[in-house]
Amino acid sequence: MWGDGMLKAYIASVEMLKIDRHYDKSYVDMALEVIDAVLNGVGLTPSELDYIIVSTAFNSLLTHQVGSSYILAQYLGVKNVNVASVEAGEASGAAALDYAASLVKSGKASKVLVVGFEKMSEYPSWIVNREYSKILNYMVEGIKGVTPPDYAAIIMKEYMSKYNVTREDVFKWSVKMHENASKNPYAQLPFKISKDSYVKSLVMSDPITMHDSFPVGDGAAAALIVGDGFTNNAPKELVELVDVESSVNLPLYLREDLTVFEATAKSLSKLTSKHRVSVTKDMALNVYDTYNIYGLITLESLGVAERGKAHEVIDEMPYLNVGGGLKARGHPVGATPLYQLGELYKLMTEGFAGMKYDGEYGIIHSMSGPDNTSWLVLLRRCVR
Amino acid sequence: MSRCCVKTGVVGWGAYIPLYRLRSKEIASLWGFDPNVADSIWIEEKSVASVDEDAITMGWYAAKYALVRGGVNPEDVGAVFVGTESKPYAVKPSSTVIADALGISRKKLATDLEFACRAAAEGIRLAVALVSSGSIKYGLSIGSDTAQASPGDVLELTASSGAVAFLIGPAEESVAVFEGLTTYVTDTPDFWRREGSKYPSHGEGFTGEPAYFHHIISSVTMLLEELGLKPSDFDYAIFHQPNGKFPLQVGRALGFPKEKITPGLVTPWIGNTYNASALLGLAKVLEIAKPGQRILVAPFGSGAGSDAMSLVVTDKVLDRVHKAPTVEELINRKKYVSYAEYAKSRNLILRNVG
Amino acid sequence: MKHSISIFWRDRENHYKLLITKCRNCGKSSYPKLKRCPYCGSTNVEVVESKGRGTLVNYTITYFRVDGSEAMLPKVIGLVKLDEGVKVPAEIVDVPDLSSLKPGLEVEAVLRKYSSDDPHGLIYYGLKFIPSIIKKQ
Repeated sequence: MWGDGMLKAYIASVEMLKIDRHYDKSYVDMALEVIDAVLNGVGLTPSELDYIIVSTAFNSLLTHQVGSSYILAQYLGVKNVNVASVEAGEASGAAALDYAASLVKSGKASKVLVVGFEKMSEYPSWIVNREYSKILNYMVEGIKGVTPPDYAAIIMKEYMSKYNVTREDVFKWSVKMHENASKNPYAQLPFKISKDSYVKSLVMSDPITMHDSFPVGDGAAAALIVGDGFTNNAPKELVELVDVESSVNLPLYLREDLTVFEATAKSLSKLTSKHRVSVTKDMALNVYDTYNIYGLITLESLGVAERGKAHEVIDEMPYLNVGGGLKARGHPVGATPLYQLGELYKLMTEGFAGMKYDGEYGIIHSMSGPDNTSWLVLLRRCVR
Repeated sequence: MSRCCVKTGVVGWGAYIPLYRLRSKEIASLWGFDPNVADSIWIEEKSVASVDEDAITMGWYAAKYALVRGGVNPEDVGAVFVGTESKPYAVKPSSTVIADALGISRKKLATDLEFACRAAAEGIRLAVALVSSGSIKYGLSIGSDTAQASPGDVLELTASSGAVAFLIGPAEESVAVFEGLTTYVTDTPDFWRREGSKYPSHGEGFTGEPAYFHHIISSVTMLLEELGLKPSDFDYAIFHQPNGKFPLQVGRALGFPKEKITPGLVTPWIGNTYNASALLGLAKVLEIAKPGQRILVAPFGSGAGSDAMSLVVTDKVLDRVHKAPTVEELINRKKYVSYAEYAKSRNLILRNVG
Repeated sequence: MKHSISIFWRDRENHYKLLITKCRNCGKSSYPKLKRCPYCGSTNVEVVESKGRGTLVNYTITYFRVDGSEAMLPKVIGLVKLDEGVKVPAEIVDVPDLSSLKPGLEVEAVLRKYSSDDPHGLIYYGLKFIPSIIKKQ
């Protein structure tokens, strides 16, 4: 259906907050900060927005607030706007982008603000860990005490023995992510780590250490998704939000092969069946790496690397997770896909982390848990 | 045969002893007892339930294998009694959790019984009566305890964890048939735990002569008189085992030689499992007994009371022994823990919860 | 109150027993008791109870602290392949020697406490696994 005269959706602006433990900011403070930055940057007032779509996974569990979309609208002083939250676990932000793009492409809206946020530091770690573990099936896995890092550990052990991959091979991912994050002003962990720092890192679920996993932090990011008619201060280099596709995998315990992400692969085939695009090593690619092993498996499931070989190709991928991935940029869950979008959007336009990407397509990959649902967002550069 | 147990017997039995052991000498040393105190009452080590175990989980395991040994469909069990003095809930039955988890019929009697260490023995008597009267086909009596002892109390040397279950049913399906049962109870305050108290209290020496010895000797004497039997008619004698020494002493007083008592001893190696104590001894004896042999078992519960039971082993016992873990296997399966680990798993350490 | 009374109670059969859903349409088996086959979506399924024995597929030793788990750490969490052919996620307890843990270890299901709303709330029971006491013949 692409290119047949349908309306298109574009990214007008993305703004991010440095990810940190923002003990002095509420979720409202963080969200309004990035919303204001977006609106001021493009010269819009809140009342000119058609929609505000909120992406948050844990706000009701960790800040006790449901309906945060209308709470934010009330703080913005707007009444004439459509509001709602979108939730798909850790992939909520990708789902929010899907619905924003769909609203614009359908003609129902022309100015949709997507704001993602998460306050992960309102409780001590054991409470946050309990709530975060609810991305798995509470009635099957949660009640038994099975947590996300447990699955990452089991997957990593299966992967290492199946493909004869070493601990150090897997850790190359973390090293690269920290290297990238060291140039990202929004990253939670903007520093480099050594290739064996996992040795002294605290173990979460063996062999997964803190250095194999994302840090817990607060963050917010907002994007303005607009239609063709939007021209206020529009940059010359436009990025089109071409399409979003997603799929669902079986729960981990029902999978035959634990070392491949079939929903990721399925989403890619849905995307490539509609668009003339394939994932290549020199493409701007921003994938979920809640654990480094998930980053590697994602690359393989996207067909960039052979099974068991992803650690060999990541150094040949200059535009892979330029912000440092979930591992080092951070993972304020509902906001994470918007950080990915911000990094890619800036990389494709003004430049990001000292780099500029001139290729036509960029892809964002987001998922919840180990590929329980996986989403792909296709971006395309177009010059007006 | 006495009228109280017409044509009933033990159809299946199951045991459970937690993996962990604490050496009694370590407890004695920590609390400054004479180093010989453990030897003086013959207690070498005691079993320690894990942090995720309690009377319900241990009772479940024993009951599961009682059903397996009996080859009985859980749907055919008409009564479930849990004898325990360490109920996980003060109010809320343990028997219902175990019964639901094992798929036992909803049309049943189910209750938790409390009479210190002899409630499960009374559960057996109730099941025998129900089967014997034709009210139910099979009844389960489970004895399960995570016995408490105030840290530093001499009781701590022995108070341990374990469970046992007996499936009572028709004599023709039984591995051992009941010949007679008597019970002797009085108001004797040798050991108690008040509502809301975490640990029990006891009368130390008072738990012996007026309590343990008087009640067991009375119930056994009544049984022997009722059945017209004498100690030499029995191949095995099993008494409640608060420690390793008492059962030998009470046996001597009744005229049972040591060699008939030691096969049923478990406490020196796993401690006093309270409601499971003497009945684990019975399970252990069933696992070595030969058809035709006669067994005396006499549990005791503080407060106080004793039940004396006489059973005659049938040839069905032989092929049921290895359908489930034996007491011997469970005693030998062990991992030693420190007092600190024991204190953590038995919730003896004060910490913020909830 | 960590868990809802009714959520746990309603599903207690799935915590107390290992129930397997067999699909008459595609032939695959899944876990736990389900109304639809997760592989093909068919509602033509039957539920059977596992005998509760299996082998360890893989495992992790976890120190990840979740509210209420502190007294139980470290835990062993694994995937167990039941003899009936279905994999289930589970905690493995009573491992005498952690070095004996390896894929293929024979395990049997036991009822244990999952968690407990201490000091006044409910205790949540469910199945975990231990290294098999009786080895397969």
